[in-house]
Amino acid sequence: MKRSKWIWLVWLVVLLCYLVPYTLLSDVARWYGSFLFWACAGLAVIALNVFITKDFEEHSDD
Amino acid sequence: MTESLIWWSIAIYLVIALGIAILSRQGASEGASKSMSGYFLGNRQMNGFVSALSYSATTYSAFMMVGLAGLTYAGGVGALGFEIIYFAGVSLVAIFGPKFWAVGKKFGYVTPSEMLGHRYHSKQVAMAVSMASCIFLIPYSAVQLAGVGYLLQGITGGAVTFTTGVVLATVIAIFFSYIAGIRSVMWTDSLQAIMMIVASTLVAFLVIQGLGGFSALFDTLATEHPQSLTVPGSGLFSFVTFLGLTIPWFFFSLSNPQVSQRLFMPASLRSMRQMLIGFLVFGFIYTFVSVLWGFSALAAFPSLERADLATPTLLASEFVPPVLGVIVMIGIMAAAISTIDSIMLTLASMVSRDVYANIKPNVSEKRQLLVGKFVVPVIALMALGFAELQLDLIAVLSVAASSGLVAMVPAIIGAFYWKRGTAAGALVSVVGTSAFVLLMYATGNSLLGLPAGVWGIVVASALFVGVSLMTKPHEATADAFLSAISEELSKRRRPLTPNR
Repeated sequence: MKRSKWIWLVWLVVLLCYLVPYTLLSDVARWYGSFLFWACAGLAVIALNVFITKDFEEHSDD
Repeated sequence: MTESLIWWSIAIYLVIALGIAILSRQGASEGASKSMSGYFLGNRQMNGFVSALSYSATTYSAFMMVGLAGLTYAGGVGALGFEIIYFAGVSLVAIFGPKFWAVGKKFGYVTPSEMLGHRYHSKQVAMAVSMASCIFLIPYSAVQLAGVGYLLQGITGGAVTFTTGVVLATVIAIFFSYIAGIRSVMWTDSLQAIMMIVASTLVAFLVIQGLGGFSALFDTLATEHPQSLTVPGSGLFSFVTFLGLTIPWFFFSLSNPQVSQRLFMPASLRSMRQMLIGFLVFGFIYTFVSVLWGFSALAAFPSLERADLATPTLLASEFVPPVLGVIVMIGIMAAAISTIDSIMLTLASMVSRDVYANIKPNVSEKRQLLVGKFVVPVIALMALGFAELQLDLIAVLSVAASSGLVAMVPAIIGAFYWKRGTAAGALVSVVGTSAFVLLMYATGNSLLGLPAGVWGIVVASALFVGVSLMTKPHEATADAFLSAISEELSKRRRPLTPNR
């Protein structure tokens, strides 16, 4: 599978960023509620981008 | 924080920044400041590290430190979610970045609007995109300037007035753009980004320590302001508002020409990757620092008159040593400047390349550059005028700009993924959506209960697809455009020697 297809996983993370805090976590008034969730989502986005763009290194510069 | 400390710090910052701006001319080849792509794109030779810092500095403006902290203060953790969704949207660079870069290299585009004009074989498309960008980005720049004004005024207790701050920032922005075009802008951006990330993280650390540590801060929030830790919480981040804020910002990296133009600049795809990953790491830290500032202000000063005062109040508080407070204050001023000078340069390149050169055919490159340089201060002065109007609520206005710029998104995506897209579709989509968003904001920003931020992308997509299906595409340019991408991106590096 082409690496760029993994971008769909980023879009899934985005979807969860809308759904989870407004449903499951809407009553968790603690740091380990929405705060932690969005923090993990941010880290997941970084990791996915590192993976997706790995092919860029192989591209010829000239 | 005394007035003399403030002025001396501004002076020191200016000396260092000007030194860096002047040094940035050194590495440039002969003629780098004489051609359009030399002046506005750094000859497509920018390295990854500077590109990453500059991309961050351009994106994260005064809005971040003043606006996002304020938004957290007023609405709680929803502000973090808003920023994380924006942040995830920058992943669009991983997909569209190489494509922009490939066609930029092949066809010599200087601006994203030029690219669209060529792809759809229509000067009108290029002109419409350029003019819509000006309509939305000049007020956005004004918001940045106003941010500087509020900040300096708030933090010095009025010793530096709003107007002084705004004028100062405008003059510096013009200066930075003039010294070496995009080169001086990117190098001064980098200085600002490094200074800011270090100083602001230190402030967050000191303030949280002052409030008894991370867990004490969150305990205070949980007991005294429990709503600040959930969404919708106090109600500011209702789901509809959240959607309206986040959707336009999700597309920021494509819709805003001052950042999409950056996709033409890296020297290689490897540099582009460094730019993207560097930005994401930077952005992640910066987001948390801003949100933690807002939370700290809420815990320590729960009864501020306006949420925009959260950052100035925090910086002037006993938690932050005056010298650090001043460094951050200057960093925020520099952040606004680094956003504005990039916007000015981008808009100037669009006006000269896509409006002037299209109205007056056969103008030389030299002449285009001259016009571009003339437009820079004109744009700056317009932004200054808007800033002086002192419009309220920094965050909301910035988003009005983003809602409008979403008008370009379907035409951009279509350029790469939908051969059936036509010039008429792109034109109607850009002009129609821009007009629609302006009308929405003029009439209370609600249609069937949804804001312009949600409607913008729907209207733009419907117009682009609908009108394209009713008209004929220009197949020759679409084919040339798409085959250039696959040709350029299929070039592989020769196998590496093991010890490299």
